[in-house]
Amino acid sequence: MNVPLLEIRKLAKRFPARQGREPPPWVIQDLSFSVREGEFLTIIGPSGAGKSTLLNMIAQIDVASSGEILFEGNKIGCADPKEMRPGLNRRIGYVTQDDNLLPWRTTIDNVLFPLEVQGRLDDKSRAHAETLIAAVGLKGYEKYYPHELSGGMRKRTTLIRTLVYDPPIILMDEPFGAVDAQTRMQLQEDLLRLWSLGRKTIVFVTHDITEAILLGDRTLVLSRQPARIQSEHAIPIPRPRSVKSFLTLPGFAELYERIRSEVL
Amino acid sequence: MTTVERVSDFVEREPLVSKKTLVTVGRILLAVLLLLAWQWGAVAFGSIFFAYPVDVVKRLWELAASGEMFVDIGATMRVSCIGFVLGGVSGALLPFALRRSKRWTEAIEPYILGSQGIPKYALAPWLILWFGIGDTPKLVIVTLMVFYIPFVNVFAGIRGVDQRLVRMARIMGASETRISREVVWNSLLPFVFTSLKVSFPRAVSACIVGEFLVSTEGVGHYIEHARELSDTVGVFAGIVVATTLVLVINALVNSLERRALAWRPVDREMEI
Repeated sequence: MNVPLLEIRKLAKRFPARQGREPPPWVIQDLSFSVREGEFLTIIGPSGAGKSTLLNMIAQIDVASSGEILFEGNKIGCADPKEMRPGLNRRIGYVTQDDNLLPWRTTIDNVLFPLEVQGRLDDKSRAHAETLIAAVGLKGYEKYYPHELSGGMRKRTTLIRTLVYDPPIILMDEPFGAVDAQTRMQLQEDLLRLWSLGRKTIVFVTHDITEAILLGDRTLVLSRQPARIQSEHAIPIPRPRSVKSFLTLPGFAELYERIRSEVL
Repeated sequence: MTTVERVSDFVEREPLVSKKTLVTVGRILLAVLLLLAWQWGAVAFGSIFFAYPVDVVKRLWELAASGEMFVDIGATMRVSCIGFVLGGVSGALLPFALRRSKRWTEAIEPYILGSQGIPKYALAPWLILWFGIGDTPKLVIVTLMVFYIPFVNVFAGIRGVDQRLVRMARIMGASETRISREVVWNSLLPFVFTSLKVSFPRAVSACIVGEFLVSTEGVGHYIEHARELSDTVGVFAGIVVATTLVLVINALVNSLERRALAWRPVDREMEI
């Protein structure tokens, strides 16, 4: 009992050297942490700290140089890139930085895409997709193509496209990085609301301390390259949390100050 | 509550005279100008060098009424279409085959691109030697003329497929076949249409030139035959038929493209 859903043990990564050049430095070294089921874990790291590389390795689209990744107690991943199973048979969802919606599919068709390719599209799952679309305020935009939507709307579509097929764990790589501050708050609020409905396990990577505290149950701070866990903080702020008045959340200021002093 | 951008942001206001009307008027004006220039040419240079538009229209009418025109169009279209399909399919499929092996690509690609420089019409005498004066030598020329267009375009398209989309589809559990059909195919469509648009007219004109060289029927044969008789009206009538053929084909491809690529923000980005 009590096996963590995801466990990372002494993970390390360095990209292969180009011919005739010095081998590049380690991006990640000796990185270990674990995620409980239903936990919202945030990871703070400076730009270029190897955050995306870490998530790519967990999502099985990149190989680790050494170390282990365990999912439900079983070792996953292998040394041969050709043997990898991206997304671990739909059990690991991944929301990346850029909204990679299929430009030839409308909002609804983009959200239905994972269900279609998984052969799980029926009346029930379709209704579920429509509920999610309504939940993030995209009702009326079902027949719009991505290029007709605003950046924030595309982000929401990307988000629910992963939620719709309900993977046990979802990785998020700075999903709200490229939007303005107001839209960002709105998206954070949407995410918190969606999360409170399902309590999915989420690993959310960001460079924004405020975002990490606002969303997470626990936050890890990564060091500069090579990335390893520098510190860990529980976030005891009670839920539901108000994104808009985050400054007045009990304990927010203290926590922020403590993390900031470590990062800078 | 989620605030969503208002729908009205996406609706554009109608100008007084719509752009479409303006474009149509412009097109008609251009056509009239062209006809006037043609008429002026006939008056200035004489009917041996420039057939009068009226005579050409009369001739076209006669050719259509006797059915002769359709026999020639049929012959030209037969060779163009078969050559187009042969060249188009092989040119579009070869990049898919080469994609699997980088080494083969590097070995073969320079030869294919280099062979582009061979003047295909110069092969005609040799092809006649081999295949006689039937459809085959023309077919070979049309196929060769068409081949490079989809080859270069589809190659560029395959190299340009957004790998992020492919990865995303994989993570969601899409099979490789599914990815080819959904992501690769849709990313390629614009390239396929670009090459369609260029290569079909190219096939028709290659076929007509081929008919100048060797033929017993076809639009090119009609033009060449008329030239031998110093029948300028016939030459012009043939050119009009050939042009119309290409225009009709272009319109068909365009409407097909508009339907298949409705998702593309083309019109929006083209606005100046």
